[in-house]
Amino acid sequence: MIRIGWAVLAGAAGLAILALGLEAAGYDSSSALTALWNGAFGSWYAFTSATLVRSVPLILIGLGIAIAFRAGVFNIGAEGQFYAGAIAATWVGLHVAGRPAALAIAMVLSASVLAGAAWVAVPVWLKLRFGVIEVISTLLLNFVAESLVSLLVQGPLQEPTGIYPQSDAIAEAARLPLLAAGRLHAGFLLACAGALVLWYLFSRTVWGFRLRAVGLGPRAAEVSGQIDSPRMGAVALLCSGCLAGLAGGVEVSGVSYALFQNLSPGYGFTGIAVALLGGLHPLGVLLSGIFMGALEAGAGAMQRDAGVPSVAVYVVEAVIIMVVLLATTPKGGWIPVRVIRRIRPAAPKAHR
Amino acid sequence: MQFIAPALRNTLLKASWQYAVLMLVLLSCARQDTNRSGSSFRVGLVVPGSVADAAWNSGAYAGLQRIRDSLGLATSHIEARTPTEQIEALRTYAAQGYDLVFAHGFEFQDPAERVSATYPRTAFVVTSGRRAHGNVSPLIFRLEEASYLAGMVAGSLTRTGVLGFVGGIELPPIVAGYQGWVNGAKAMNPRVRTQSVYLNSFDDVAAGREAALALIGAGADMFHHNADAAALGLFQAVKEKRGVYVFGANADQSHLAPGHVLGSAVIDLPRAFLFIAAEIRKGNFTPRVEVFGLKSGVVRYVAASALDSLVPVKVKARMAAAADSISSGKLVAAPRPASMQASALGT
Repeated sequence: MIRIGWAVLAGAAGLAILALGLEAAGYDSSSALTALWNGAFGSWYAFTSATLVRSVPLILIGLGIAIAFRAGVFNIGAEGQFYAGAIAATWVGLHVAGRPAALAIAMVLSASVLAGAAWVAVPVWLKLRFGVIEVISTLLLNFVAESLVSLLVQGPLQEPTGIYPQSDAIAEAARLPLLAAGRLHAGFLLACAGALVLWYLFSRTVWGFRLRAVGLGPRAAEVSGQIDSPRMGAVALLCSGCLAGLAGGVEVSGVSYALFQNLSPGYGFTGIAVALLGGLHPLGVLLSGIFMGALEAGAGAMQRDAGVPSVAVYVVEAVIIMVVLLATTPKGGWIPVRVIRRIRPAAPKAHR
Repeated sequence: MQFIAPALRNTLLKASWQYAVLMLVLLSCARQDTNRSGSSFRVGLVVPGSVADAAWNSGAYAGLQRIRDSLGLATSHIEARTPTEQIEALRTYAAQGYDLVFAHGFEFQDPAERVSATYPRTAFVVTSGRRAHGNVSPLIFRLEEASYLAGMVAGSLTRTGVLGFVGGIELPPIVAGYQGWVNGAKAMNPRVRTQSVYLNSFDDVAAGREAALALIGAGADMFHHNADAAALGLFQAVKEKRGVYVFGANADQSHLAPGHVLGSAVIDLPRAFLFIAAEIRKGNFTPRVEVFGLKSGVVRYVAASALDSLVPVKVKARMAAAADSISSGKLVAAPRPASMQASALGT
C-alpha cells in the first residue's frame, strides 16, 4: 500500500512541478496539461495507438530491469540489448517470407530473445570470470550496439536501393497482428502476459524466493540458504537481457517493420525509471509502463496542440525518479521524507 | 526496492536532479509563440530535430510562422526524432483533419506516402523529398548549387589544401551538398584534398565538435557542413582556432562564429513554404515536384560582410560567372543519383 502511495506521490509531484515550470515560463499550464491528458487518454485512438503502443517496450524492458534489480545486479544496458533483439528480429524477419504467420512470428521473437541474452552474456562472463562490474560493462555495450546498427543499416542490412540508412521491410508473415483499428499490436498482450508470469515466479515459486533473497543479502543467502549468489545474479542478468531483446523484436515486428538507426528514443533508460516507479513489482511495472507511455504520448500532443516543447515531460520523469529514490532511502535523507516516515507507523493501514 | 546500492542511488539522484533543473531552464528559454489563429484551414509541421538549431529546422519553423502571419492560418508543429514518432506525428495530424502538413526532410518521403494512402484529404509537402505521389508533393532544394559557390571560395583561400565536411546522416541531399562543395573547390584549385565525417545524428553537438577537431588535426582549414544542431559543435571548434574558416548551411550562420564564417549556403525556407502554402490554400493545387535552385532565389550563397575583403575580386568574378552557368543549366553543381527517383519500400 505504502509503495503505491509513494508511486502516486511521485507522479503527482512530477506533474505539479511541470505545471509550475510552465507557468513560470509563461505558458498556459491548464491548456498544456489538458493537451497532455487528451494526447494520452483523450480518445480510444490516443489511448491504444499512442499510449499503449509506446508502453509495450517500456513494460518489457522494465520487467527485465526489475528482475535484475531484485537480484541485486544492475542492468544499465537494456538499450543495447533492445538493439541486439531488433537486429536479430529484422534479420530473421527478412528471411521468413512465405512461412505461416505463427511460425514466422515465433522465429522472429525467439531470435530477438536469444540476441538480447547473447548481448548481456558478455558482461555476465566478464563479471563471473574477472569480476568486472556489470554497471560499467552493460552501459558501454549500449554504444557498441548503436554503432553496430549504424554499420548494418549502411551495409549488409541496407534496403536494396541503397538510399536510406535503414533495412528493407520485414516479411508480412513476420509482423505481429494488430489488435484493433489503429496501431496497437499483439505485443501488448505479450507484455501483460510477461508481467503475470513474472508476478507468479516472484511470489509463488522457490526460484523467485531465492532471487529476492540474493538481492536482499547475497552473503546471508549463501550462508543460510546455500544459494549460489553469483550464479543467481548471472541468471537474473540473462533473463533481463532476454526481455530487453524481446522488446526490440516486438518493436520491429509490431511497429517499425524495419531496422533504423534511432529506433529507440531511449527506451532502455526510461525502462529503469519504469522499473523503479513500479516498485520492482511486475504488476507495478505494468502500470508504471503505461503511465510513462502516456506521458510520452501526451508530450507530443502538448507540443502539437499547446505549443509547449515536448522536453518539458522529461522534467516529470526526472522528478519521479527523484521522489522514488528519496522514498527508498533506508533512513534519513531528505527531511520531508524523514518526517513522513516518522508519521507513517501511526497510520492504520501501514502494513505490507 | 529498498536494496538499491547506495552509491548507485546517489548517482541517480544527482543525475535526475541536475536533469530536472536543466530541462526547466531549457523550457523557460525555449519559449515559443502559441500557434493560434481563427482560421479553419490548419497547417502542421513535423520536424526531425530541435527548432532551435539555427539551420534546417529553425528555418522551417520560421516558415510556419510566416504562413500564420501572412495567410492568417492556424498552425502547429511537432519535433519527432525517431522513425516511429515521425510516422505517428504525420498520422495524427492527418487524423485530426489538418489540411496541409509539412514533413521536413528527405526521410519523410515514404512515411508520408504511407499515411497519405489512408488520409487522401490532407496535402503533404515533403521538404527535400523525392517524388510526387498521391497527395504528396516534394520541395526539392538544390543546396549544392550554393555549396558549389562556397567551395569556390574555400578552394581559393585554403592554405593547407585540406577541406573538411561534417554531415549529419548520409542521406542523398546531404551527399549532393558535399559533392557540390568539393566540385566548387576543385574548380578553383584542382589539388585540394577533402575529408568528410558523418555523425549519424543531427543533434549531437559534442560529436560535431569532436569531428571538427579531428579534421582540424588532419590539416583541414576550410569547413562546410550539413548537420543542423550538431554543427553548433563545429562552430565552437572553429572559433577556437586561428586561420580556420567555416561555411554555414541552410541558413545565414555568420553570427555563430563571428570572424570565422566566410559565408553560408542558404535556403530561404520561409519563402518556399509561403509560396506552396498559398497555392494549396487557394485550392487549385495539383501535386507536383517543385525544384528550387540558385535561379529561383530561394537557394543562394550569402557572403559574410565582415570577411568579404578576404575574397579576391577575381574569385568573386568567377563565382558570378559560375552562378550564371548554374542558373542557365550549363553547369551542374553535383549530379544527383538516379536511384533517388526510386522508392525504398516499394510503395
